[in-house]
Amino acid sequence: MLWLAAALLLLALDAPAAADEESTARPDWPEALRVRGRLAEAFAYRLHDPGDVAKLKTLGWLEGKYTLSESADLRVAARGWYDAVFDATDRYPANVERDEARQLSLREAILTLRRGDLEVRLGRQQIVWGEAISTFVTDVVNPKDFREFVLPDFTELRIPIWALDAVYRLGPGLTVEGVWTPDTMPNRLPKRGAEFQFARIPFRFRNPVTRLPDDADEFSLERSEGGARLSVLREGWDVALIYYDQADKSPVFFQRRVPQPPAPDVIVLEPRHPRLHVIGATLGKSLDDVVVRSEVAVTVGKRYETIDPLDHDGVVRRDTIDYLIGVDYTFLGALDTSLQVSQKILTGSAANLTRPGVAGVATTSVALRVATGFLDNTLNPTVLAVVGADRGDLRVSPRLDWLATGSLTVSIGADIFEGPRRTLYGQFDRNDRVTFTTTWRF
Amino acid sequence: MCRLALALVIGLALVAPAVADEAAEIVRDADRFRRPGDSFVWKITITSEEGKKAPSVDGFEVYVKGSGRSFVRFVAPPRNVGRSLLALGRDLWIYLPDAGKPVRIPFSQRLVGQVANGDIARADYAGDYDVTLTGEESVGGITCHVLDLKAKTKDVTYAAVKYWVSKDGRRPVKAEFYAGTGTLLKTGTFANFKEVAGHVLVTRLTLVDAIRKDRTSTLDYGDIAIRDVPEKYFDKNFMKSAD
Repeated sequence: MLWLAAALLLLALDAPAAADEESTARPDWPEALRVRGRLAEAFAYRLHDPGDVAKLKTLGWLEGKYTLSESADLRVAARGWYDAVFDATDRYPANVERDEARQLSLREAILTLRRGDLEVRLGRQQIVWGEAISTFVTDVVNPKDFREFVLPDFTELRIPIWALDAVYRLGPGLTVEGVWTPDTMPNRLPKRGAEFQFARIPFRFRNPVTRLPDDADEFSLERSEGGARLSVLREGWDVALIYYDQADKSPVFFQRRVPQPPAPDVIVLEPRHPRLHVIGATLGKSLDDVVVRSEVAVTVGKRYETIDPLDHDGVVRRDTIDYLIGVDYTFLGALDTSLQVSQKILTGSAANLTRPGVAGVATTSVALRVATGFLDNTLNPTVLAVVGADRGDLRVSPRLDWLATGSLTVSIGADIFEGPRRTLYGQFDRNDRVTFTTTWRF
Repeated sequence: MCRLALALVIGLALVAPAVADEAAEIVRDADRFRRPGDSFVWKITITSEEGKKAPSVDGFEVYVKGSGRSFVRFVAPPRNVGRSLLALGRDLWIYLPDAGKPVRIPFSQRLVGQVANGDIARADYAGDYDVTLTGEESVGGITCHVLDLKAKTKDVTYAAVKYWVSKDGRRPVKAEFYAGTGTLLKTGTFANFKEVAGHVLVTRLTLVDAIRKDRTSTLDYGDIAIRDVPEKYFDKNFMKSAD
């Protein structure tokens, strides 16, 4: 790591002198500083019994970028929110209120340094890999915040991490990227009693159960994560190969029996984050007026909880292949459509596995997004429908965005879930909601 | 008789390529009024109007290098700031801050008002279309060549363009843009020719919807700077940094 630190320091010191292809003259500070932000008021009403307000959130984002020179810039972004629903209703337990009522977080703090064909980004950031929209097949670097399921924008879902991201252009259309992070933060899951609490694993214990907290250190050099991506763009074929070594971002509950004579054994459920090796590839290509995209990721070391009573630790290893194929096409120059088929394949039996996102050895889902614009594209309806093909669970999210002015957007929408209880979308069958959001950008 | 026919065939064979060459040359010359150099930066302001509604204004900063490489930064209104487009030949990406990564899109996708992505990201009619010279017409008192442009591939913005180029000076005057079905989509008129750094350039393109004539988009080109644009602008990995 010493060489890395030395190289970075050298780059930082040398950055202003590193004559890029443009002038390195430092701009005056008012020109060098760019500040922008947003304020939003988000309201959601839960339709099912108990029909009630489910969100009354005021959100604010503020971000700044300071250009030190053509070779260096600094970005800082923060987000804060206050959700008044916890004061307006008493439906949610105190632990959920503590977890979700208010938050102030640093979303970005990045020093970017450039020298020739090398760009280094150091700091708290989101590193996004992949070609597809609204899935995470190769978007593996950042943990995700699932407290509102997968309904917010993906930049809001991703939890920024402290990382070093270096991109080097080997030649025209050929880029290599290396990522390293000691920030091993896991996915953030909703607390028990939250609006979008995930269905619990249906263990069949008759013994008393103790669930240990998931409190692994967020920072660890020993458990640090990293990987690389090689991207090639040739004749319009955009291909990338990725490798990432990480801890599973979602906890896996290992079981052990603790004898308590003369009482029955206690079952201890211990959350762990087993090491994963993700090997993947992405592809993007325009074929005439159709855009084709595809992603595949093989996750080696993936483990799932099992309810097989004969399994000694309640966990089985199933290396997993995730892939998707998507096409985009604009009908009549006005109707933008995007169709995506994805599949998760386990390398082994799926019997006794109970994760809502796993329907069998192969779990297939189909997503369709349709968008258009009226009134000079100031009124933009969009529908996103995702169907779990195996068990018939689905999510439909229609939305209408009205661009009232250049700064103000008013959106109304809904999120409808259907399906059996223990399916990815069916677990939120009672959480159908309508939403109303106003966003002001400055 | 046979000799006459043979002479005609040979004559046609010799003349046809020459006519095609002339047509392509006219379009190439007209393209020069739509791009000031091989590497340059300009700002495009699009004013979209519909009936009696208040016009909306969108601003873009466009970096161009060579034929078919352009990087477009969205600079106004506030809701679009942070977005960018990258066109490399026949491939187009959009960077949306909400997605956090470049996403491939077709050139024909709507950008704003009557303007498609390709209208600001590509200006190479000579490279994108096969050209036929069909005759002459007068447009607003200007005698023009009339040219039929057929897309060489399906991934360009329009399947066909009917193009009027002035005989005198070969300036672009008017264009009709067609879909693959032969439907007229919109009509464009080129105006406000100005001399910038030794080049005479079109600085205004007005697009009118073919059906709703009250829907118009006016593209104004300004702040033109002819300079060597760094290569990094044409790398999709740069799009996030450019935000």
